[in-house]
Amino acid sequence: MSNNWEMVIGLEVHAQLKTNSKLFSSTPNQFGSEPNENVNFIDSGMPGMLPVLNFGCIEKAIKTGFALNFTINKHSVFERKNYFYPDLPQGYQISQFEYPILSEGYIDIDQNNKEKKRIRIERAHLEQDAGKSIHDIDPKFSFIDLNRVGTPLLEIVSYPDLSSADDVVNYMSSLRQILMYIDVCDGNMQEGSLRADVNLSVRRPGEDLGTRCEIKNLNSFKFIRQAIEFESQRQIQIIESGGKIEQNTMLFDTSTGETRAMRSKEFSHDYRYFPDPDLLPITLSQEQIDIIKPTLGELPNQKLDRYINEFKLDKDISKIIISEKENTIIFEKLVSESDVNPKTIASWLVGDIFAYIKENQKEVSFLENKTQNIIELLQLISEDVISNKVGKDILPKVIEGTKSPKDLVKEMGLEQVSDTHELEQIIDNALEGEEENINKFKSGSDRVLGYFVGKCLKATKGKGNPKMINKILLEKLSK
Amino acid sequence: MKKSISQIKKSLQDKSISVNELYQEYFSIAKKNSHNSFNFVVNENYNDHNIQLSQSRYDSGKPLPLDGIPLGIKDLFCTKGIRTTASSKILSNFIPQYESFVTQQLINDGSLFIGKNNCDEFAMGSSNETSYFGPVINPRKSKNAPNDNFVPGGSSGGSAASVAEGACVASMGTDTGGSIRQPASLCGLVGLKPTFGSCSRWGIIAFASSLDQAGPITNCVEDAAYILNSINKHDFNDSTSSNHQRDDYVTNLHTKFDQSIKIGIPKDYLKDLNSDVLQQIEKTKKVLSKHNIEFVDVEFTTTDYALSTYYIIAPAEASSNLARYDGIRYGLREDGKNLDEIYLNTRTSGFGEEVTRRILIGTYVLSAGYYDAYYRKAQKVRRLIKNDFQRIFQDVDFILTPTTPNEAFKIGDKLDPISMYMNDVFTVPTSLAGLPGISLPSGLSSNGLPLGIQIIGNYFQEKNLLKLALLAEKELAFNE
Amino acid sequence: MSDIDIKRISNLAKLNLPKEKETFYENSLKDIIQWVDNLKKIDTDIIEPLHNVTETTVSIRTDKVEKYNSVEDVLINAPDRAQNFFKVPKVVE
Repeated sequence: MSNNWEMVIGLEVHAQLKTNSKLFSSTPNQFGSEPNENVNFIDSGMPGMLPVLNFGCIEKAIKTGFALNFTINKHSVFERKNYFYPDLPQGYQISQFEYPILSEGYIDIDQNNKEKKRIRIERAHLEQDAGKSIHDIDPKFSFIDLNRVGTPLLEIVSYPDLSSADDVVNYMSSLRQILMYIDVCDGNMQEGSLRADVNLSVRRPGEDLGTRCEIKNLNSFKFIRQAIEFESQRQIQIIESGGKIEQNTMLFDTSTGETRAMRSKEFSHDYRYFPDPDLLPITLSQEQIDIIKPTLGELPNQKLDRYINEFKLDKDISKIIISEKENTIIFEKLVSESDVNPKTIASWLVGDIFAYIKENQKEVSFLENKTQNIIELLQLISEDVISNKVGKDILPKVIEGTKSPKDLVKEMGLEQVSDTHELEQIIDNALEGEEENINKFKSGSDRVLGYFVGKCLKATKGKGNPKMINKILLEKLSK
Repeated sequence: MKKSISQIKKSLQDKSISVNELYQEYFSIAKKNSHNSFNFVVNENYNDHNIQLSQSRYDSGKPLPLDGIPLGIKDLFCTKGIRTTASSKILSNFIPQYESFVTQQLINDGSLFIGKNNCDEFAMGSSNETSYFGPVINPRKSKNAPNDNFVPGGSSGGSAASVAEGACVASMGTDTGGSIRQPASLCGLVGLKPTFGSCSRWGIIAFASSLDQAGPITNCVEDAAYILNSINKHDFNDSTSSNHQRDDYVTNLHTKFDQSIKIGIPKDYLKDLNSDVLQQIEKTKKVLSKHNIEFVDVEFTTTDYALSTYYIIAPAEASSNLARYDGIRYGLREDGKNLDEIYLNTRTSGFGEEVTRRILIGTYVLSAGYYDAYYRKAQKVRRLIKNDFQRIFQDVDFILTPTTPNEAFKIGDKLDPISMYMNDVFTVPTSLAGLPGISLPSGLSSNGLPLGIQIIGNYFQEKNLLKLALLAEKELAFNE
Repeated sequence: MSDIDIKRISNLAKLNLPKEKETFYENSLKDIIQWVDNLKKIDTDIIEPLHNVTETTVSIRTDKVEKYNSVEDVLINAPDRAQNFFKVPKVVE
């Protein structure tokens, strides 16, 4: 930061868990339904209704505990957080306070070309999501949709170890990636599956912590950056002009890029947490915890290490592949089903294959039953049956996949010409009458070689094996 | 002498009376509602079809366990399609779209629903004087003041009164700190609060979640056993519902105990007791002593703290449970310029004085700065109370106490809150420990008003508890 | 005994006590809190709070969807609604 200011940032990330039903009721946990369609009497806070815990949420939490290096607490307690709001039917949110299910975890994040930075995570706990209020379609009324009430959330609270917008974005995207990998959250920020509250204060180096403000409900990396930039500047300006920072809860206005304080409440929040008497404490056995660990699968950073060290892939290419779990599934399938060099597979995947996917607006998962064909294509290339260029040309047909690559090559007569005799003849023909250029080559011009190769390829209608042509040409020219 | 369920079933079976004739006997009293024991009585034809079905089952010799038995239901149980108000203005127009677990069992067993019983508002009270629909009058009268109206007790005052006046065979009540046992005692009836977790709370309008339990108010112990059979089941939808092994409470009810029984009488409960009430204990001791039953003195160390503990925990839980009554999704809504005003106007107008008071207490004891000193402290003392009972149950099988420290008082006597709370002094400790307790009528005060004794059993000992209560009931009646 | 801020408590509980009743409730609360203050006399330093009297049952369900009511069931008691939404005066954050 400029002017000798430091930012001290902590993040509270709310991740919606990818379960079939809600945390305490059996209604569907899904986005985008008609208003109030996924609401039962428990969700709508009807008199006499009672919560029953969905154990699938505990399993997701335990998985997260393993993936983020947490201590998984065998004993944890649900507590009521009491306040009034129209999207909170019970008049309280069931959450965890004194005894959360996960404590003291961490992630190591990348910093541009520096060594990794450890971001410590204080805790993660389970809680209910609230409903949605629509405020902007009528000047006089707000409309309440309770579909989201009771959706399971894992609230992940970091220590204030983050020092910049970059840190925050790196942290949150690592978190998002891991949660998606372990199938705990679908990571869809536009749909609200992952939201962040940013706690930010500023100070001069060496000084005590400043007063912090909380910016709520940021659901894109772009907004997170903008909000951090604006808020830090706002706080700096206040202090530099002699003022004091008021502790506030802020909202980020996405249209203006500014933060503003929420309407001030007369009395500060007193949530009066107490253990929910309708629920018993969670008591997990070691077995219940241990049984989850094998279901974790390989985590992104573990894959990165393996791709670099075992497959000898380039770091940047590896990162592209691991950026989405479905990429790794396809990549690893291709590697395991063939003996084509993983580096070759990687470069094809990240290059032409992904380009095809993008152009044709498909999902990577579309490739899942096409791997055999792709492998066959790559094998044909590595065995020199067809050239690289031909491979790229027929790739779309290979992926669309009605015919096997072998059949395609045969039908279209695409086999490379690799027969030495045939090639020698073609080369001899190409070299006839080219004394001037031959002399140019002999006096050191490499470009002439390319010209001759091109001439031969043209004569073979592109089917000449370029490597062999090159080799034979060199032999002949060196005589 | 009121008819018992088994007597009724017998006369229906041997056709000395038809289902409809029996029903009309009770319905004719219910519809008069002369003691205001109902917030709602079904109309003339409501049960026509059910009565037909019941009759045909009796005709074919295959009646359900409670077939044709007219029951009252405290207006705290959500009854599908039928107004359920908790005797509060804030729910005066609420019609649930679901049936509580307990009342569903009663329906499944063939009982006939006769009406929703009046009660204290949101079950908060000990005299049924806090109801939005007016106080309930105890059908029992004082011989010295025969024109005075006395309270039936609370909060299940309407349930007790409806049974006492003959408007129904039995009524389903709820007990949080004594709300079944105390009105049963004041009306000369049997009232059973089962072990916490026995009967599902699903569909019962919540007052204090860690204390509420459904239970029957009946004319005799055997009737309580019949009803317990029906409702005492595990409910997966209530996370506090116990999945312990349940019994048939009617079979072997009348057979002797095959081992000797030890009953403890707590000295600390008998301190400063009026002589009428003390007499009930003495009488019970006398009639039971000849049945291989030994009475011993026991002493609690926590009795003085039980009421305080209860009046911190129950209001705290209530303040949170009643937060959902906000005028947004159901119930009363009063107008307001903005959302906050709707909340304030609705809740202020919708709740009565006692409910308001308890919400305020509850909010206070949970609030920042007071939570540790009050709520958390009370939860710790609660454990001491539970341990105290467990210590005593190491030496005895049951505990005998009076149910209430006094007979019924006059309606409108205007007790201050604390004096009113003191009505629960003998019932509250049992609730805090979650133990089962039954009140049965033991005699009359010098004014001729009913008095009752309470027997407390250990966790899930309802079968033996009912056996003992039946024996006591027999012996007390015999020696009347 | 600490002071009772009746305004703050009633606001937290969304209760608007009429002016003439404020003192009444405040005194009522004072009396009751004083009465329950006898708990201070008992030593509970090493005692764990008791939150669930049964402490043993486990009611947990598997992650399965069950829908058994209609949208109308949920909205039918609404004091004010617009199509399938609950309707309230506009909330400004």
